[in-house]
Amino acid sequence: MTDSYRLGIDIGGTFSDFALVDNAGGAIRVGKVLTSAHAPEESVMRGIADLSGAVPGLLGRTSEAIHATTLVTNTILERKGAKTGLLTTEGFRDILEMAREVRYDIYDMFIRLPEPLVPRRLRLGVPERLLADGAVLVPLDEAAVRQAAAVFRDEGVGAVAVSFLHSYRNGAHESRAADILREELPAVTVSLSHEVHPEPKEYERTSTTVLDAYVKAVAEGYLERLAEGLAARGYRERLFVMLSNGGTATVETAKRVPVQIVESGPAAGVEAAAYFGRLAGIDSLLSFDMGGTTAKLCIVENGRAARTRSYEVDRQHRFKSGSGLPAAVPVYDLLEIGAGGGSIARVDDLGLIRVGPDSAGSAPGPACYGLGGAAPTVTDADLALGYLNPDYFLGGRMALDRPAAERAVEGHLSEATGLTVVEAAAGVHEIVNENMAAAARIYVAEKGRAPSELSMVAFGGAGPVHAAGLARKLGCPRLVVPPHSGVMSSLGLLAAPVAFERSRAVRRILEAVDLAAVEAGFRALETEAGELMPDGAASIVRRSVDLRYSGQDYPLEIEVSGPCDTSSTKGDWEALFEALYRSHYGKVDDDNPVELASIRVHVSQPPPALELAPPPAQADAPPKAWRDIHVPAGAGMERAPVYERAALRIGQEIAGPAVIEERESTTVIGPGDRLRVDALGCLVVDLVIHRPAASGDDAGAAPVPAAFGRR
Amino acid sequence: MQLDPVAIQILWNRLITIVDEAATGLMRTAYTPSVKEYHDFCCALFDADARMLSHSTVTTAGFLGIVPEVLRNFIAKYPPETLRPGDAIITNDPWIASGHLIDISIAAPIFHRGRIVGYTLCIVHHLDMGGRMSTLESKDMYEEGLKIPILKLFDEGRLNETVFDFMRANIRVPDKVLGDVRAQLVANNVCARGLKGLLEEYRLDGLEALAAEVIDRTESSLRRKIAALPDGSYRNVAVLPKVPGCDDEVVVKVDVTVAGDGVTVDYSGSSGEVGAAINCSYNMTRSYTAYPVKLALDPHVPNNDGGLRPIEVIAPEGTIVNSRPPAATWGRTMISHLFPEIVFATMEGIMPESILASNGGSPANEVYLHGRHADGRSFLAIAQHSGGFGASARHDGYACLCFPNNTRNIPVEVTENEARMYYVRKELRTDSGGPGRNRGGLGQDIEFAILDGGNERARDVESSVRLSGRTEDGPFPVFGRLGGRNGRGSGLWHNGGAVDHGIYRRLAPGDRMRFVLSGGGGYGDPFEREPERVLADVEQGYVSFESAAEDYGVVIDGAAMTVDAEATRRLRARGRPPAT
Repeated sequence: MTDSYRLGIDIGGTFSDFALVDNAGGAIRVGKVLTSAHAPEESVMRGIADLSGAVPGLLGRTSEAIHATTLVTNTILERKGAKTGLLTTEGFRDILEMAREVRYDIYDMFIRLPEPLVPRRLRLGVPERLLADGAVLVPLDEAAVRQAAAVFRDEGVGAVAVSFLHSYRNGAHESRAADILREELPAVTVSLSHEVHPEPKEYERTSTTVLDAYVKAVAEGYLERLAEGLAARGYRERLFVMLSNGGTATVETAKRVPVQIVESGPAAGVEAAAYFGRLAGIDSLLSFDMGGTTAKLCIVENGRAARTRSYEVDRQHRFKSGSGLPAAVPVYDLLEIGAGGGSIARVDDLGLIRVGPDSAGSAPGPACYGLGGAAPTVTDADLALGYLNPDYFLGGRMALDRPAAERAVEGHLSEATGLTVVEAAAGVHEIVNENMAAAARIYVAEKGRAPSELSMVAFGGAGPVHAAGLARKLGCPRLVVPPHSGVMSSLGLLAAPVAFERSRAVRRILEAVDLAAVEAGFRALETEAGELMPDGAASIVRRSVDLRYSGQDYPLEIEVSGPCDTSSTKGDWEALFEALYRSHYGKVDDDNPVELASIRVHVSQPPPALELAPPPAQADAPPKAWRDIHVPAGAGMERAPVYERAALRIGQEIAGPAVIEERESTTVIGPGDRLRVDALGCLVVDLVIHRPAASGDDAGAAPVPAAFGRR
Repeated sequence: MQLDPVAIQILWNRLITIVDEAATGLMRTAYTPSVKEYHDFCCALFDADARMLSHSTVTTAGFLGIVPEVLRNFIAKYPPETLRPGDAIITNDPWIASGHLIDISIAAPIFHRGRIVGYTLCIVHHLDMGGRMSTLESKDMYEEGLKIPILKLFDEGRLNETVFDFMRANIRVPDKVLGDVRAQLVANNVCARGLKGLLEEYRLDGLEALAAEVIDRTESSLRRKIAALPDGSYRNVAVLPKVPGCDDEVVVKVDVTVAGDGVTVDYSGSSGEVGAAINCSYNMTRSYTAYPVKLALDPHVPNNDGGLRPIEVIAPEGTIVNSRPPAATWGRTMISHLFPEIVFATMEGIMPESILASNGGSPANEVYLHGRHADGRSFLAIAQHSGGFGASARHDGYACLCFPNNTRNIPVEVTENEARMYYVRKELRTDSGGPGRNRGGLGQDIEFAILDGGNERARDVESSVRLSGRTEDGPFPVFGRLGGRNGRGSGLWHNGGAVDHGIYRRLAPGDRMRFVLSGGGGYGDPFEREPERVLADVEQGYVSFESAAEDYGVVIDGAAMTVDAEATRRLRARGRPPAT
């Protein structure tokens, strides 16, 4: 495979990032363009056109393109999906609104719940009923489905979710209803609950199906236009999409059930942070990704990112499960905050500065983009504080208008608060950091960790600008800024091996299981998953079984090796399960029989080789310039050295305050911080942590328990 | 050890994380929907002096005032010097623990470096404890099931098989219930491991310093809020809904006295114990009395012993709010779930912004079904559905949202997988929300039917459906507040005929039970509700055209779906209907 490439494409709310890896040497090229909110696929084409300047005929030479996008989440958060109707079993149309009938906070009488995506008058019941075993109690009333279709047509509905009771056992009624709906409403997209999430519990299944329907037309149209655009430019291979748990799917699978890619973009970032963490020998880290619209944090422990299956979109209360709309898909357990470079700052009724969560996005964008935005944003503040270089944004391809940024800060913030431009801009920078820190403290504590044990790995266009300040607030002692940090999610798409997981429910007492059938099941899953792999790719196959005590819901996954047909197989599995159960839950002497819940196959390529070309410099690079930057707690602006990242030598050390510029991002460090360039080209910063002087002025005694600072 | 505010915050959060992990362990290893879906349980962590430091965030309000006392009662029987690593103590005694036999409490000491540093406790409302179960008719405790005195379930790591043997012999679905008991042991194991991990990690010998901070800060926070209220005494006398099978009229008298930074709630003068299964233990009364005070004054501080200290609850022994053994207690929530709104009613004048109108589903609904499957196996299923949430000064009430307890519904599909039945409907009831400037949440209309198992022993199903018992024309409707109207709708029908709730009935295949849970009370004058909000309600079918005109004085043009402003003005000028 000489002279071929792998391409990672990550579409964010504000910017679209690209990473191109040469299959032969592993050399990396990256790119970044503004996202067109109305047609994100156009940004992809522009980004590829840019890269083609250096690699002519790029798409014809691409062996594999992997894509991540925030399109699905943003469609839900901004309520920009299709007008959606819901078809249910007659008598159960309100399940979507009743949800689980429980308060997510037992002490708060005034909790808010998200609005259901389908209002009551577009939720229609039709006569049909299956029993728990899948038997038909009431046949589907086809005329009623047609009547419902007529209502949907009159209302101008663009998508319909179908969720009938017990369809996870028997999908026939849903499938027939879908046929009728497609006949009656050919332009409408249809999502069926037994395809989206074939599991019991009607509310969670219905909610997931409604979310899928709501985003389907947007996602389908987008992915189709994207695939066509790539094909028209010479791409001949399959297009892959990253799933919300870091797995991969073909574009066809993603189109069929788009709710699976709800956290696709953030997952790519987490993959990248874990990858660089591994390379740098850091096993527990806090990944921090700050782009134009949102910031995302995720704990990675022992190289493995936190995961959840009880994911919710549009949480009304950031930290409370139950306050959002359930999407029963496997995802990384991320903290997402409405704070980015585009977050708008304003003065509220109390005369205080507030930042976000609304964003100027890429259009009109921050005032300094000169694209019509007038409101001051975080990026405007960062520019006014001297952190960003107006002539070196995107490597100088996009000029930033510093006077416009200062005018926006002055007009919208200074006048109402009586602060100088620098003071107001510093306030915006500080407040957005504090907003992120407040959320991150709770998120980290909820995982039972202390930030002092975690290194922060920062990336995204705005991440390295804010990382030192945020890490300092949290008490993370060390900051790592990997190479290409401004486009790291797109690199994460390539750092993660292409992988497919396939599983099959068994739900039998282990004792009674026919092992020959299990072996056949494993082989079938391996074939299924193997067929999805790119042609000619070597693959690593892992088998696992989900075991539990019969009667429980929640299984433990046990990795198993070799064919499962020996006389000791069942005994071995049971022993492994009991040992794992005991290590999770302690000694309880359970005597119920062990059940094989499901079998699972994970097929992946070997981890791809990325050649992180280390900085070639032989000698320490001198500052390329000096510029006034704002130093917190200092006296306004201070002169600080500005370095070109590409010119730094491995092992070079820089003392803060300093600014390190690269094409897609800028790293800012403060007084006393010490930066070192490691062998991979990562910037590793040991931060000055100010412990709060809460217990008086006994500076000698650590005011926090001694153990706090360990590791 | 010196603790600064940052360290306290981190360690305090960690204590809560530990009990939440314990709750996760419980849910993941549980066997019945009672734990997995319903969430009527709590996990709590105590210091070596049996002071409660943290309480799982997934829980229901009834445990708040109970939990600290349960552990103190355990320690009274088994003092610390008699406890060894690997011990676990069990009971379901209503007066020692949580007020009825169906709840089992299991506690364990946590040893670290050779001494007890704390205790872990897990209480679960189980699926079955034998006896007559979900009926209000039981006259005393002995009818209500198996009672487990305080015993060691584990003795230095060895299971006391005798306890399990007795339970197994007395309950209908022993494999599942004993599985859930084991899940409680898991919760305690996870909690103990979490605390030991924390002590190791921060090199602490014990929790004393942290416990003092957590409890004192919580106590003083609530005291500051109480001190801001005007001193005074506020009274309410409530004649409760008629309880099926009980001839006595039940009256709850309450006197709420705010003095300085403390509150005293005095139930003297309330009715005596009754020969029906609705008697409360003192701790149960204390839980649901402290709850509305915390809700109204200090909702954002985590729950621990400190939050109970400023609230004194006086309840004379032998009354329905402080019953003695062997009173029947199964349906004690028929009384205790009303305390929050009885207390809120006294606060209507002094803090109108901090209270809720009544909840349409309170006291909580409870559905029990048991019988045999075609293959002879016993089944036992429970379900719970909620009425409409009460409106407040800020918001309309949500439809079908639990209060004052906080348990999740058990999904229709889960119950149908457990029991030989199916639901016919579960949907919102139009016009059930109490009208008001802010409207009460809608209640719901539910019907289920019995399936035929196909043979003689799998024919009939025993079922009890317990409702709030509140009716629009009864002595204790679902109250609106500050001019808001009462919530509407209630009743139980067997094959179309109205019947009593809260007692067992034998249902034959094809039989249908239908019940309606009321909407919540409204808040403020409904004639002050903006006509556009009334129109939006009519568009979604939450409110009918008729109710829009009659209750809100808003005339809607049905063809154009617009407010007829002139007709509305005339109608509103004519005046309001008399308050209900």
